[in-house]
Amino acid sequence: MTTVALLGNPNTGKTTLFNELTDKYEYVGNWTGVTVEKKVGQIRHSDTVVVDLPGIYSLNPITKDESVVTNYLLKDKPDLILNVTNASQLKRNLLLSIEVLELGLPVIITLNMIDDLKRSGHYYNLETLSKSLGCPVKTTNARSKEGLEQLKTELIQDNVQVNANGPLKLNYPLMVSQAIRQADQALVKDYNIEPHFAHWLAIQFINQNKVVRKYAKTHQLKPLLSQQAYYDAQKFADQIFETRLSFIETTLAAATEQLQSTQHVELTSKIDKIVTHPVFGLPIFVGVFYLMFKLSFDWVGTPISTELDKLLSGPISTWATQFLTQVGALPMLRSLIVNGLIAGVGGVLVFIPQIFVLFACISILEDSGYMARAALVTDRIMEMIGLNGKAFIPLIIGFGCNVTGIMAARTIEQPKERLITTLISPFMSCSARLPIYSLFVAALFPRNQAVIVLSIYFLGIAVALLMAKFYHVLFKVKEHSVFIVELPEYHIPRLDIIWHGTWDKGKGFIKKAGTIIFAGTVLIWLLSNFGVHGYVTGINQSFAANLGKILLPIFRPMGVTTWQPISALLTGVLAKEVISSSMMVLFHTSNQAALIGVLSGSFTTLSAYALLVFILLYIPCFATIGTIKSETGSAKWAAYSVVSGLVISYGLAFLIFQIGSLLA
Amino acid sequence: MGLIVNIIIIAAIFGFAGYQIYRAIKRSRQGKCAACDYDCEVKRMADKAKKKAF
Repeated sequence: MTTVALLGNPNTGKTTLFNELTDKYEYVGNWTGVTVEKKVGQIRHSDTVVVDLPGIYSLNPITKDESVVTNYLLKDKPDLILNVTNASQLKRNLLLSIEVLELGLPVIITLNMIDDLKRSGHYYNLETLSKSLGCPVKTTNARSKEGLEQLKTELIQDNVQVNANGPLKLNYPLMVSQAIRQADQALVKDYNIEPHFAHWLAIQFINQNKVVRKYAKTHQLKPLLSQQAYYDAQKFADQIFETRLSFIETTLAAATEQLQSTQHVELTSKIDKIVTHPVFGLPIFVGVFYLMFKLSFDWVGTPISTELDKLLSGPISTWATQFLTQVGALPMLRSLIVNGLIAGVGGVLVFIPQIFVLFACISILEDSGYMARAALVTDRIMEMIGLNGKAFIPLIIGFGCNVTGIMAARTIEQPKERLITTLISPFMSCSARLPIYSLFVAALFPRNQAVIVLSIYFLGIAVALLMAKFYHVLFKVKEHSVFIVELPEYHIPRLDIIWHGTWDKGKGFIKKAGTIIFAGTVLIWLLSNFGVHGYVTGINQSFAANLGKILLPIFRPMGVTTWQPISALLTGVLAKEVISSSMMVLFHTSNQAALIGVLSGSFTTLSAYALLVFILLYIPCFATIGTIKSETGSAKWAAYSVVSGLVISYGLAFLIFQIGSLLA
Repeated sequence: MGLIVNIIIIAAIFGFAGYQIYRAIKRSRQGKCAACDYDCEVKRMADKAKKKAF
């Protein structure tokens, strides 16, 4: 049986590659001494076993978990090492590769995510790399399965041919190489250690590898232990690092091929001078978002949405009513299907165009390389608050879904900063709130739809940042995480990537329509058709009306004069889209156009804006509350986010309406 | 007969809605990927891994 060890830096797509290479795998307990699970898989139609090692930057471990790899290399001898690297970050990745190549075991290096490298305009001559490193170099793209079959064939072949030249030998400075030679000769002679392994042990020991030094102590390797103080005093470790780095730089310089002319790079830097400008950067960022909303609401989304609504309220509703009457459906069932489900769920589905256009815009911004610049531009403002651009990335992701945003906050290492980002995430306007904005802006701000929605989004950001500052002072945050962002070169977004990005996000919306929005609509239909005395013919005697009327005095100071929006808000906790379908059911309207008419009669522009602000900031949906609880590990923070959301949203909507009324 | 069919349809709609609310709350409690709207690559990989593991 052949054993292949999968080794590489974190985030090189190692796990994706492991999943693609093996057709079944199992967890075989934990690695010794740590809680990291050991995963072993098998390549189909072969007796080759693949061991997935934890991602590391160097064989000299920083954490206990990272020591797994060095310990594995010291104790087990895999037949082959597959070193997975991120093709775009080869300079950093090769530092680990050199350490592995010096061991002398057969190694195959694969440049994974090769597509990303090609898109950046560079490529590496594989033959040059292979000659310089002394091992086969392959390219793969685990996500698109490119190069995987060839790699699989290589892995199940007889591996004796690989590394026929033995370990990689770098030209370390004279003193260092002398020290290595003396130590490895003594180890071979006195301890009967295999020469390649002795050589590697000597380099790793001199390079202050903690695990190897412990190994030397356990095995009483005197030639190394007796010289330890000398190695450290001479700073041999630094010299080793410098030699390796310059070797990598020379190798990469020789192997780099330009796919695109330098004009492309120049263009990127020219664009960056404008879009990341200290003064113009922010207005450009706002402008980009404005354009996005203009596209979603005014230019593309709303016109298609209006057509969909006509289809739904016209032919579909009429056909459904006729069909239900013909088959003898009870009036109650007819009302449930036509006025409840078709009007309610359909009323949300007609917003598909707006949501998909917005998701497509976000995907274009991400794929073109602009989002990384947005994080950089906002970094300056975030710095003033005490957070940094890193925290802005989860917030931007939160525009799609707050749950995803909160999950993305995991990238922030500093626990207090992470908690702050989690707590402010629900203030970011997720896509589920779009249908209700669309309704209100169409009803009361028909000429300024994009500006109003833009202002709501930015108000969300402003509240989030203010709260972040408040928490920052409250939690007495002293430590900061570092924000390093790689700025990829700009490129024309690829259609398939945009489509995948849009579909992955948009699919969830359609799925929700058939599940939780459907359920929420049925619930609100029940509440609006039943009262304390059972089935009611007038909606004013229903549970929904009773509940709304009880709460109406609380909402009156922010300009709400009817009970329907209040009852609709309650169902929004299930999912924010349900507010729209509930409004449709509660106002007894059969289509979007009719509801827009009713809303424009029940609200003024001021009270509508105050309500939109309330909707933006009030209680997060159940899914978000659940995620806050699971990510912070405390129900208290989840409860706190509900209370703080309510207080802030009410306070702000109240202020907007009251001050606005005074000024009017 | 017609009445029974009507009642069955109404019961099915309410049953499905009730089940969906129950499921949504259960998934929300789990939080993380279960609660998230997106069907991203990581989520797909995690699901695939769950099926693959033996």
